[in-house]
Amino acid sequence: MATQIIMDHNGDTRHNFDAKDAKALWEAERRFKALTGAGFTAATRTASGEPVVTRTFDPSAGETLFFPRLVGG
Amino acid sequence: MSVALLHVAINQLGRLLAACLHMARAFSDWYQRPSTCELRGLKLLREWLSQEQLAQYDAHNYFEVIGCHTGKRYRVCHGTGANVFELNDAGLPRKGWCFVPNEYLVAGDVMLAQKIALETDERVALATANNFTPR
Repeated sequence: MATQIIMDHNGDTRHNFDAKDAKALWEAERRFKALTGAGFTAATRTASGEPVVTRTFDPSAGETLFFPRLVGG
Repeated sequence: MSVALLHVAINQLGRLLAACLHMARAFSDWYQRPSTCELRGLKLLREWLSQEQLAQYDAHNYFEVIGCHTGKRYRVCHGTGANVFELNDAGLPRKGWCFVPNEYLVAGDVMLAQKIALETDERVALATANNFTPR
């Protein structure tokens, strides 16, 4: 089971999906494109735990984290 | 007789005040408790911190990250703004950097976004940020 984690005012919202299910995968890719298109950054982790920013949907990613655009405070 | 009644009244007033104080403390504890959202954000942060960063955060309420482009060290303190400090060679804050998500997020989420930004795209994060002199 793969997970997309979206940071929001509730802490985060998680979408779990079966990467072997074509429809679920299509939905996850659609969500990825919608979020990154809206300015969210998508990040995954390497096997050693280091974060990596990803610009394209990776169907093999077990966990993808999305956070909103950063601005000067 | 009247003195005895006065003692009883003072005693009861004391008990009432103690009960009020107890309730006020309970309310204060309840009001200041971390919300579910804040706890969720901190749980996510803890999942993404390295073991070293997690140990630092538990001990000091901050963790340090290495900028991916310059190799500089930054201290990310618990908070939601003006909480990132560039460190000098002695490990002391030399410059503050303020960059935050463009929508409201809880502290754990803000700190995690700042960590990922500095570790994966330091130049863009700093170009976005405003800087300030640490106190």
